[in-house]
Amino acid sequence: MVTGARGGGGVEELKQAACAWAEEARRMGAREAEIYVQDSGGVTIKVFGGEVEELRSSASRGVGVRVLDGGRLGYAYCSGLEPEEVRRTIRDAINNARYSTPDEHNRLPEGAAEGLVSPEGLGMYQPETEEMPVEGKVELALRLEELARGQDPRIRAVESAAYSDSVYRVALANTGGFCGAYRGCDCHCYVAPIAGEGEGSQSGFSFAVGKKPSDLDLEGCAREAAGHALMLLGAESMPSRRTAVILDNLIAAEFLGVLAGALSAEAVLKGRSLLAGRLGESIGSDKLTLVDDALMPSGMATAPFDDEGVPSRRQEIVKDGVLRGYLHTVYTASRSGTASTGNARRGSYRERPRVSPSNFYLDPGERSREEILREVGEGVLVLQLVGVHAGANPISGEISVGALGMLLQGGEPHRPLREITIAGNLLELLKSLSMKGDDLRFLPLGGSLGCPTIVFDGVMVAGRS
Amino acid sequence: MLDLSMAERTLRRALRDGGDFAEVFVESRESYSLRLEEEKVEENSTGRETGAGVRVAYGESMAYAYTNDLSEASLLETAAAAAAAVRGGGAAADLRVPSPSTQPAISHEVKMLPEGVSREEKLSLARRADRAAREQGPEVVQVIVALGDSRQRVFIAASDGRCLEDERVRVRLLVQAVAARGGDIQTGYEAPGMLGGYELFERYDPAELGAAAARQALIMLDARPAPSGPFPVIIANGTGGVLFHEACGHGLEADAVFKDASVFAGRLGEKVASKLVFAYDDPTLPGIWGSYRMDDEGTPAARTPLIEAGVLRSFINDLKRARRDRTAPTGNGRRQSYRHLPIPRMSNTFIAPGDLSPEEIIADTPRGIYAKKLGGGEVNPVTGDFIFAVTEGYMVEGGRIGDPVKGATLIGNGPRVLEGIDAIADDLDFDAGMCGKDGQSVPVSTGQPTLRVHELVVGGTAEVG
Repeated sequence: MVTGARGGGGVEELKQAACAWAEEARRMGAREAEIYVQDSGGVTIKVFGGEVEELRSSASRGVGVRVLDGGRLGYAYCSGLEPEEVRRTIRDAINNARYSTPDEHNRLPEGAAEGLVSPEGLGMYQPETEEMPVEGKVELALRLEELARGQDPRIRAVESAAYSDSVYRVALANTGGFCGAYRGCDCHCYVAPIAGEGEGSQSGFSFAVGKKPSDLDLEGCAREAAGHALMLLGAESMPSRRTAVILDNLIAAEFLGVLAGALSAEAVLKGRSLLAGRLGESIGSDKLTLVDDALMPSGMATAPFDDEGVPSRRQEIVKDGVLRGYLHTVYTASRSGTASTGNARRGSYRERPRVSPSNFYLDPGERSREEILREVGEGVLVLQLVGVHAGANPISGEISVGALGMLLQGGEPHRPLREITIAGNLLELLKSLSMKGDDLRFLPLGGSLGCPTIVFDGVMVAGRS
Repeated sequence: MLDLSMAERTLRRALRDGGDFAEVFVESRESYSLRLEEEKVEENSTGRETGAGVRVAYGESMAYAYTNDLSEASLLETAAAAAAAVRGGGAAADLRVPSPSTQPAISHEVKMLPEGVSREEKLSLARRADRAAREQGPEVVQVIVALGDSRQRVFIAASDGRCLEDERVRVRLLVQAVAARGGDIQTGYEAPGMLGGYELFERYDPAELGAAAARQALIMLDARPAPSGPFPVIIANGTGGVLFHEACGHGLEADAVFKDASVFAGRLGEKVASKLVFAYDDPTLPGIWGSYRMDDEGTPAARTPLIEAGVLRSFINDLKRARRDRTAPTGNGRRQSYRHLPIPRMSNTFIAPGDLSPEEIIADTPRGIYAKKLGGGEVNPVTGDFIFAVTEGYMVEGGRIGDPVKGATLIGNGPRVLEGIDAIADDLDFDAGMCGKDGQSVPVSTGQPTLRVHELVVGGTAEVG
C-alpha cells in the first residue's frame, strides 16, 4: 500500500516536482544541485500457527538535496513533499555546503541523460503488487505455511513463513539538465519448516522472488524447504578433510556479498579491499565471470539510471577470472581517473549516494545441477551457511563459516552433515572454482545478488570425528 | 503534534476489526551531523523528518504500519493497514478517548539547544578535538572527528486513554585517532554524549578528548604483547560497563527471557552474582546519554533494580511483555523511530559504586591485568559466553600499574564474571554508545566503577616462554 501513490501513476508528477525543485535550487543560489525524490512503501507479513504473528506496512516519502559549490558538498533531507519543507531543505543544503571543505572530485555527472534507456521494457513494475489488498497477501503467507506443513508427516512445525513486498517511485533531477523517473516493485516469500523424527529435529528454508505475488511459486518453495529439513534429519559432523564443496544455488549468492564489498572503489580508495591494486590480474579461475547488470529485465535492482543519474549498463567486472574494474560513483571515479560505472545507490532519501552493486551475479554455465553432482561424485553439498557476514574478513579475505549439507558419494547425497566449517581464503576459493550450473538464482536479501550452483575443488572442511 | 480528535479517529479505525490495544506514535526529528576526516569537512548534513506509526495488538500478535504523511486520509489508511492483520478476530477492546495524561514527574533540563549554537561554533569544537589529537605527535597518522546533535519530539495516544508528549535533545562527539610506527597500527577512541544540549562541552573539553584519544593510540604503540592465561583483571570505570551490558544486560530483557535466549530465565530471586554486586537500569539520571523522561510507549522512566546484593531482582520490559508476564511495566519500551515497533531495551545500565578507591584495588593486586579501555566484543546470549578486546591494557605488578600490553582479549562467561567480582570502587562513570538489536539502534549508556574480577582468562599474543 503506497499511500503517496494513490490513484496509480504518480511518477510523472514526482519527475516534474524534482525538475522544478532543481530549478528552484538554482534560483535560490545553489551553483549546482541535485534533487532525489523517493516514494516507497511495502508490507511484510509473518505468520505462525495459522495466525498473523506480525504485520508491518510502510508508506514513506521524502526528498534528499545535494548542493555543490565549487567542490563544497552540502546535504540535507526532509520527509514528505510539502513545497515549503522542500524549499527549507534546499536552503539548509546550500548553507551546509558553505561549511564544507572543497574537494574537486565532488561533482555531478556530465552529459545529462545521454544513453538513457526507457524504463518501459525493463519489467520493473507490476500493478498487481500494489493493487492486491493486504488481506490477499495475508492469505498468501498462510497458504505457504500450510503447504510447508503438509509436505510430510515428519514436518512438525513451521518456524516462520513470511510474505514481503515493496513498491517504489524515484525521481531525480539536477541543475545539469538531468531529469528522470521510474517506478518498480518486488516481492518475495520465505518459509522455514522444522522436520522431526524421534529426538532429532532439523530446519530447512527456502524463498521465492518475483515482481508480483502471482509470480511466487508457493508450492515449489514449500517443497524445497521441507525437502531440505527432511534430508538433514540425523545430520552429524564428519572428520576434517580436503574435498570438493558444492554450494547449492539456494545459498551460493551469500558468498558474493563479501566479494561485492571488495569490488567497491570506495573500499579500494580507503585501503579496505583485498582486491586493491589487482586490476588486470587474475583473481580466480577462468570460470569466474562476475556481472553487474542494472538493466537486467525484472531484476530487483533494475533501474534506467543510478541514484545520481548515471545511465545504467551491463558490465563484466571480472571476466574469465581477470579483474577488469571496480564499481564506481562519480566521486570515486573522479578520484581514480576513470568514469562512473553507474553504481551510486542510496538506502533512502536520508542518505547520500554511495558505491553499491546493482544486480550482481556470477555468470552461469551450461550444466544442470544433476550433471554437476554426478561429475563431482565425492564431496560436500552445502545447503545452509551460518555466519557468512561475521565469519568473513573483507580486508584479508579470510573466511570461516559454518555449514549444513549432504555428504556426496557416487554423485548421490549419502548422509546429512552438520557442525562442519568451511575455512580458507576468498581468493583461493575463487581460484578453485571448477564448475558452475545453469541455475542462476537471486537472493531477496542484501541487495540483488545471484549465483548458480557452483563447485570449489579441494576446500578444507573442518569437522570432528 | 496531532490533534486529539484526529488521534481518536485513527485509533478507532485501527480497532474497527478487533484487537486488544491500539496506539499512534508521532515523531518529528531534526538532526545534524558533521564529520572531519583528514582535516577536511567530509560531511555536513541536516535532516528533518516527521512520521507516524500505528500499531494494533491482538493476543500474541502485533501489526504495525507507518507513514510520513500526516494527513487525515493517510493516517486512516495507515490504521486500516494495521487493522488488516486482525482478520475480524473477535471483538475490539473498548476505546477510551485519549486525553492529556499527567506527564512524568521527572524532567531533563536542556541548557544549550542545538539550534542556538552556530555552525561556526560546531565546526570549531570539532576542529579543536582534531588539532589536539594531531598535536600529540607525528606518529598520529589519522584523526576522524564526528559531531552530531538531534532534537526529537514524540506524541503518543493509546486506546487505554493515555496521551503524552515528550522532547529529547542529544549531543555527541566522537574522536578516533590512529597512530602508526613501522607496521604497527593502534587506535584510540573517545565518544562522550549526553541527553541535553551543547552544555556537553562544559563537562568535556573537545581538546582534552582529542588528546586523550591520540594518547591511547600512542601508548599502545609502546605496548608489548599481552600474556595468556587466567589473571585477576581490574576493569577501569566507564568502559567496563559495556561488558555488563552485552554479557548480562541483554539477558535481562524480557523478550530474550521469554524466548529462552537468556541465562537468567526463571532465576528471579536467586543469587546470580557476588553479594557485592548491585546493578540498575536507570533512564532518570540527569544528563546521561541513555536517559529519557518517558519511554516510547509513554511509560514514565524509572530506576529498575536488576541485581541487589547479588540477587536477581527484576527484568526490564515493555507494555507487551509486562502484560504477558503479569508484571508492572518498567519503562523500557523503546524504538529507533516511528518506523519501528517498541521492544524492551536498556537505557543506562550500570553496576553501582562500592566504597574502595581504585588505588586501593590496584595496590591490593600483586599481579594481574588492568583493562583501561574495552573495545568490541561478541556474546552468545544463550550461554552468556563472551570475548572482549582490551584496546588499552596494562600489566599490574606488585600492586602498581606497569607496562602497557596489546592484543589482549578477555574470555569468560557473564554470570560467572558476576560471581567473580571481588572488589568494587567508588568511581562510577558512564560511556555513551548506540545499541543494536533486531535491526534497531538506540542510544544507551553503560556504566561501571573500577572493579576487579577475581579471575578471567586473558587471551594474549605473547609467545609462551
